[in-house]
Amino acid sequence: MSPADSAAVSPPAATVDGDWKRVHPASPFVRGWVALAAVGFFFGRDAFERMLQGRDFLDPNLNGRVPWLLAGGAVVLLLTVGGFILSWYFTRYQVAEGYVRVNTGFLFKQQRQARLDRVQAIDIVQPLLARIFGLAELKFEVADAGESAVRLAYLPLHQAKQLRATILARAAGVVSGPETIEEIPEAPEHVVLAVPPGRLIGALLLSEQTVGILLGAAVVVTTSVLLENNAIFLALIPGILGIGAAYWSSFNKGYNFTAAISPDGIRLRYGLLDTQAQTVPPGRIQALMVTQPPLWRVFGWYRMHVNVAGYGVSASSEGAARTMLLPVGLKSDVMRMMSLVLPDPGVGDPERVFTAGLEGLAPAGPQSSAGDGFVTTPRRARLLAPLGWRRNGFFATRTALVIRSGRWWRTLVLVPHQRTQSMALQQGPLARRFGVADLVLHTTAGPVSPRVFQAGVEQAVELFDQQSARAREARKRQTSEQWLAQVAPQAPEVAATVEAEQPQRPAQPVQPVQPVQPVQPVQPQTSPQEDRHNG
Amino acid sequence: MHTEAIDPPGVQWLRVSPKYVTVRLVEWAIGNVFMVAILSLPLIFVLLGWWLWPPLWLAITVPAVMLVLALWRLLLIPRQVRAIGYAERDDDLLIRRGIFFQRTMVVPYGRMQYVDVAVGPVERGLGLCTLKLHTASAGTNAHLPGLPAEEGARLREQLSARGEARLAGL
Repeated sequence: MSPADSAAVSPPAATVDGDWKRVHPASPFVRGWVALAAVGFFFGRDAFERMLQGRDFLDPNLNGRVPWLLAGGAVVLLLTVGGFILSWYFTRYQVAEGYVRVNTGFLFKQQRQARLDRVQAIDIVQPLLARIFGLAELKFEVADAGESAVRLAYLPLHQAKQLRATILARAAGVVSGPETIEEIPEAPEHVVLAVPPGRLIGALLLSEQTVGILLGAAVVVTTSVLLENNAIFLALIPGILGIGAAYWSSFNKGYNFTAAISPDGIRLRYGLLDTQAQTVPPGRIQALMVTQPPLWRVFGWYRMHVNVAGYGVSASSEGAARTMLLPVGLKSDVMRMMSLVLPDPGVGDPERVFTAGLEGLAPAGPQSSAGDGFVTTPRRARLLAPLGWRRNGFFATRTALVIRSGRWWRTLVLVPHQRTQSMALQQGPLARRFGVADLVLHTTAGPVSPRVFQAGVEQAVELFDQQSARAREARKRQTSEQWLAQVAPQAPEVAATVEAEQPQRPAQPVQPVQPVQPVQPVQPQTSPQEDRHNG
Repeated sequence: MHTEAIDPPGVQWLRVSPKYVTVRLVEWAIGNVFMVAILSLPLIFVLLGWWLWPPLWLAITVPAVMLVLALWRLLLIPRQVRAIGYAERDDDLLIRRGIFFQRTMVVPYGRMQYVDVAVGPVERGLGLCTLKLHTASAGTNAHLPGLPAEEGARLREQLSARGEARLAGL
């Protein structure tokens, strides 16, 4: 049996017990403060109200029952706190041997381990209360599109950052030795763009949401005037509260949005009260979408969404925020983010291609192409898509497929070739009548669903065939899960920063920390853990 | 078998078993006969004079329209079954279906996460099975119904073996 196998099958607690760590002792209280507050409220409200009214602390009529009530309250409180302490005591985690392991539960135990090189994203989340105490939650995402594989709540912020650096460094293949967590420095990062609050507010005010609200308000005002009934406004109050909450949540999530690049991947930070820092390693973005609502065109704003396998699809505002790559930005910001997501666009002048994808329009005349390279819906199908036929189009670079659509809601979708899961050509009776077909690319769950609308049948079939071949070629080129080898040559300036600032952390995995290994047998005492490394 | 305009050129389609028509007929009967029967109840009640509200023309029209639709679907079944096809290529599996609304799908072997073989009661009686391919995308709705059981088993083994040989990450 190889050493790696023995590490995988033997119970982790028995072999590497020394490395197990616990989360911060205060974390169950930060997480469960609602429960404590409820207990306090239930038993303390009566006494508190009495004190306010200047009466006795306890109800005189209750004298006989008071000890029981107090005892009951104390028992509930003790049970809650005891449960917190037990859950804290039995929650332990460890990062070793290329795995992150978490043990939880004391009645129903759960041991979970996830392979580090399968990481799709790592988030550090700080809800307001945790932020006050300087704590943070670490979320480790793997590709199952559901719940986070590993959630460590809560760690001190510096420890969470340290752990993130360790996990990412090991997953990237930079560090392979058995060092402890503390030795790995955090990768340097370079801020690429920030969204000013003013632009965020403007973007919210001009979003589709606002248009819908204005339309709704107009309808309500008209009806109330027509019916001469003012009571209808009362019914609006819950709606207004809900709308306010939605705006607040968008603002809270988008505030202070910063994107940075580091050798560990793209790092996004945002949040006003609850802050979040996401790290998406390079090559983990499955698909990307740039959209522009009609009103944003005045200011030339765009927003970007991505599909990341670990984030999945989630209706909550938090889930929506996690798949947001850029809440609002100018075209230059979009170009910069594109270059981060796709370091090698696979085409000579990416700027021109992406501009054509964002704004381009095929000529209305009988000539077939605008010369921007995009293959658009043939003129014969202009009745089928009277607005979109000059917009709907695709362009295949060496590394990605660029799909554009939408005349009013301009959309640009980008799918790297090696990320395509499967594809389907679809054609309904009307489309057949006009000689067009849709090509659907399947990617992991998320807000982006790439689809080439109404391409001419010949072009669609040709694309279908070529795209399978291109995806196959791209997959053959990209074999390693350890991304630094693939990314470093394409991002020389990043690699250079790493080398300049962190000489002990090489950017090329050609010279990792391996040479340290042979030194170990010199140590006279070998624990079972070290045995496994050497033997 | 003829190939349609959106099929890639030069593909030799394999067809599913004609016995699959029976499975579809049973499904059709369970769904539509039941539906038409329920929708006919108001007509019976009106004719018996128990109910007054739905006027006679409405009570007749609704089940009649449903009946015509059901019969139309019944007529389409054999053609739909004949339109299901699959082809194993060197690196991917092609699946096509539909005549009115056509879909041709390609699933690369290296992208398959797992392969399911499912057998329902009617299919078991006819010695058929349904093969389902799953990739990391929920959009890959690749199922291949009406395969003879031994062909399903062969395909499953074949696909798994090829998937392993061409395994790629996400």
